[in-house]
Amino acid sequence: MFNLKKYRKKSPWILHYNAGSCNGCDIEILASLAPKYDLERFGVVNTGNPKQSDIFLVTGPVTLRSRERLVELYMQMPEPKVVVAVGSCSCTGGVFRDMYNVEDGVDRYIPVDVYIPGCAVSPELIIDGLVQGLEILEQKTKEMEKPLKLFKESTCEEGIVNRRDTALKVGKIDEKN
Amino acid sequence: MSIYSTLIAAPLLFAVLVFVGTRRVRDVLSAIFIVILGALSLSNIFSFNAPLEMSLPETFHVLFILIDVAVLAYFLWQGALLKHAYVIFFALVQILLYGAVMFLSPSIVSGDIFVDDISAVMLLVINIVGGIIIVYALEYIENEEFTSLKKNGFIAMLFFFLAVMNFIVCTNNIEIFFLLFELTTLCSYILIAYRGDALSRKNALQALWMNQIGGIAILAALIFSILQYDTVYFDVLIANSNPLYLLPIVLLAIAAFVKGASIPFDKWLLGAMVAPTPVSAILHSATMVKIAPYLMLKLAPAMSGFVSLTITLIGTFVFFSASLLALSKDYFKEILGLSTIALLGLMMALAAIGTPEAVTACLVLIVFHAISKALLFLQAGILEKNFHLKYVDDINGLVNHAPLVVFFIVIGFASLTLPPFGAFIAKFMAIESIAGEIIHNPLYAFALIFLALGSVFLTLLYFKVVTKLFAKDADVKSRHVEISKFYTIPSFLLVFLLLIGMYISFERAFLSSLEIVVPLVLIALIPALFSLLLFKKAHRVKEYNCGEKDDIQLSMYYFHMPRRVQITLTILATLGMWILLLGTIV
Amino acid sequence: MIEILLIVCAPLIGGLIYGLERKMRARMQNRQGPPLLQPFYDMWKLIDKQAFIINPYHTILGMMHFISLWMVVAFIILGENLLYVIFLHLLSSIFLILAGFSVKSIYSHIGSNRELLAILAYEPILIMLGVGFFILNGSFDISVIRENSPALASLFLLFLAFLMLIPIKLKKSPFDASEAHQEIVGGVEIEFSGVFFEFLYMAKWLEYIFIYLLLMLFAGDNILLGTGLFAIVFFLVNLVDNATARIKMSHLLKIVLGIGLTLGMCNLIGLSYV
Ligand code: SF4
Repeated sequence: MFNLKKYRKKSPWILHYNAGSCNGCDIEILASLAPKYDLERFGVVNTGNPKQSDIFLVTGPVTLRSRERLVELYMQMPEPKVVVAVGSCSCTGGVFRDMYNVEDGVDRYIPVDVYIPGCAVSPELIIDGLVQGLEILEQKTKEMEKPLKLFKESTCEEGIVNRRDTALKVGKIDEKN
Repeated sequence: MSIYSTLIAAPLLFAVLVFVGTRRVRDVLSAIFIVILGALSLSNIFSFNAPLEMSLPETFHVLFILIDVAVLAYFLWQGALLKHAYVIFFALVQILLYGAVMFLSPSIVSGDIFVDDISAVMLLVINIVGGIIIVYALEYIENEEFTSLKKNGFIAMLFFFLAVMNFIVCTNNIEIFFLLFELTTLCSYILIAYRGDALSRKNALQALWMNQIGGIAILAALIFSILQYDTVYFDVLIANSNPLYLLPIVLLAIAAFVKGASIPFDKWLLGAMVAPTPVSAILHSATMVKIAPYLMLKLAPAMSGFVSLTITLIGTFVFFSASLLALSKDYFKEILGLSTIALLGLMMALAAIGTPEAVTACLVLIVFHAISKALLFLQAGILEKNFHLKYVDDINGLVNHAPLVVFFIVIGFASLTLPPFGAFIAKFMAIESIAGEIIHNPLYAFALIFLALGSVFLTLLYFKVVTKLFAKDADVKSRHVEISKFYTIPSFLLVFLLLIGMYISFERAFLSSLEIVVPLVLIALIPALFSLLLFKKAHRVKEYNCGEKDDIQLSMYYFHMPRRVQITLTILATLGMWILLLGTIV
Repeated sequence: MIEILLIVCAPLIGGLIYGLERKMRARMQNRQGPPLLQPFYDMWKLIDKQAFIINPYHTILGMMHFISLWMVVAFIILGENLLYVIFLHLLSSIFLILAGFSVKSIYSHIGSNRELLAILAYEPILIMLGVGFFILNGSFDISVIRENSPALASLFLLFLAFLMLIPIKLKKSPFDASEAHQEIVGGVEIEFSGVFFEFLYMAKWLEYIFIYLLLMLFAGDNILLGTGLFAIVFFLVNLVDNATARIKMSHLLKIVLGIGLTLGMCNLIGLSYV
């Protein structure tokens, strides 16, 4: 029998959330959905509904006002799910780092699986990041089937799972930050 | 014959008996009487083979004239007492016309009593559905604060109403028909004014003068019938009808429109809402308004192409506009009332088409509309008595408190629109028969549009209400409210009747068996799925709210209906009636 | 036998049409587009997702929508009464609307509300369509309609009216306000997720089958014409979808009811004169 499981990752539906970004990255995300880069060939649909999406695209440095919504949206996504931080500011805070009204990066609140740096990110990087996210998605699906494995394989330091170390990094993080 | 005299005399007798004995005795006696009435009407329809025709002795006629004079005098007195110009004026006109009728003496005579299969069906509806409503009323009226004499009077009035209705569908003599017509007007007047407050009086007077117009139309019809056809009997009139002299027929049809509360005359039925709910239930479902389609059915064979077309157009137009108007309402009983008006319009339209299929559709609609509306009004009463709810907007999430009431309401509404219930079949056949008429006369296409639009409006309306019931909050703890058995038993009986009705449509093969079974299975599937699927593994979550945590309050949506629209619709309907009248005269 | 097979496979065929449509829309926009089997991949993925429900009513009514829609399609394939099919279809839409109203979600309510208004727009036209076929064939039976010669010429105006309601049913621009992705996040379907969303997803495919089967009725017994019609209309609908913007619900009502009813009336009156 041919392997049906490999088709699982062929339909990532994304939820795009703007956690206080400057809109530079949002435009790039839309550009990558538009005809030139055509993310839909991977089966990507921009659903806008957490309950039906698999990949959570977050842009922006997480302003104080948006963090509750961020967590709420994350909670409403059914497992397996992948969080992709798009843009430097959502990875680390970027140009907004250490400002009074932002939290530095998405991963302070929710576990991030893929970081896509760049200010603003280029559509190629977004596509690359998403495709890598698909790998993780598939892996997570497998993990969900064997819950025990989930505990064994994750790197655990003093009881705190450090997602930043296990996460995939796309390209190089901007040196300035 | 004995069946019919019992059907008429027994409720009359009981209307008197009600006053003796305690409440208990009264309740038990009523139940027995109602069972007898129901059984009689049932046995009548099963043993029915040939139309029965017979005359009443002369003494009865004298008695009827006396009662008639008394009723008209009472109207005049009430008008004078309450200083209502319309009532006085119409009562005077009626007395004058009645005097004129008395002077004319027609020569062609026929039987006073005539019972055909249509009457048999009507008898069934009146006695069974009416009976169930009276059982309900027994309990309902006990929860009102009136003296026991007044309570007994209420029950007596309802029984009297049944007797009058039983008589009216058996009569063949237009004079007697007029008397009974006035008696129903009287009954409704007294019942609407029952509460005795200012609003009740006002609405009762409104109902009175509007129905008096119907009485005048009948009297005018009588005069023309005597002058042109030399008879006061329906069967003679219809058998000899001449397309050139259709005035009596059209006048009777207008009387039917008045009784059926068609659009220019719709105010009286809506005003009747102030009365105790069983009154609305009995007016809307089994009695009073059902005279309208019945009369139309009787007249249909005599109608010429023009008359039939105009009545069909008016009827479907009323169907369309009443359902449109209902969309902007949120008083539960008013919604029900407007939908009654709409469906009555449709029934009259169907009756006027007069093909066998249309007549069947009309009868099916009469029967099932009576059952469904009775069911819904009973629920409206329960909502008012047990939950103090009158407006649809307040019944939010009723499913948490009273699943049984919700079940009845949903069944009631579903049975008016969806397959495989009776009313659906009627609508289905209505479209078929109108489609059949379009082939002969393209103007029927307008009737079709009105019908199609109206039925969609009604669906919209019903489900606007039903969806309100379902709005279930996740957090609310279910708090069940006890509902008296005397309320639920009549409702269960009505649901049972609906099911029997479904069986009959199965028997008569209106639809293929597959077409009936599938929706039934679909509906049965819902509770089955509920018990099978427990969703143990699924996670319960909150609704998507854009990530906000605020609590939201959802209310019902309204359709804004400018007054302009309402006035335009009324004017158009009135115009239609004038066209009908003038067209016939010309 | 073939009918049973068709009925069983109806959702699959609908999925293929949906996949084809996505591909075609992409090609029209000059992009590569998802693979043809994309809808099935979506289904496959949804099975693996965690299942969320709000309350059992909601989920079960959603399932009922799918099941009754399947019945509708089955009735068309079996050649039952057209008018009946239209009303049964109404029932299935009502299930969906009830589902939408049974949760306390704003978007769901707005979606249901718009769905109700959409029914108001297309239902009268569907009924007129049925009557048009009745006048032409003397029967509402779909099997009779299928045996007669093509009705396209005599029902041409009704055909035009019918073309207008295809975008409403298939949730395509300019008449897709009732679903309106991004604006009201899919309307009724918003609270469904995981396996339970599959029912709604498949119901969407069945809508395709329903509407295109109705379209094929215009071709009567001429299968070639039917296929041609399907191809042309399929292309047209997607072209319009790509070329227009969404319009408001009230405009939708005015446009569809105004134009559709006029066209239908003219057609019916014309038919009875001929
Ligand atoms: S990464 Fe740069 S471009 Fe992107 S949202 Fe942040 S500040 Fe704007």
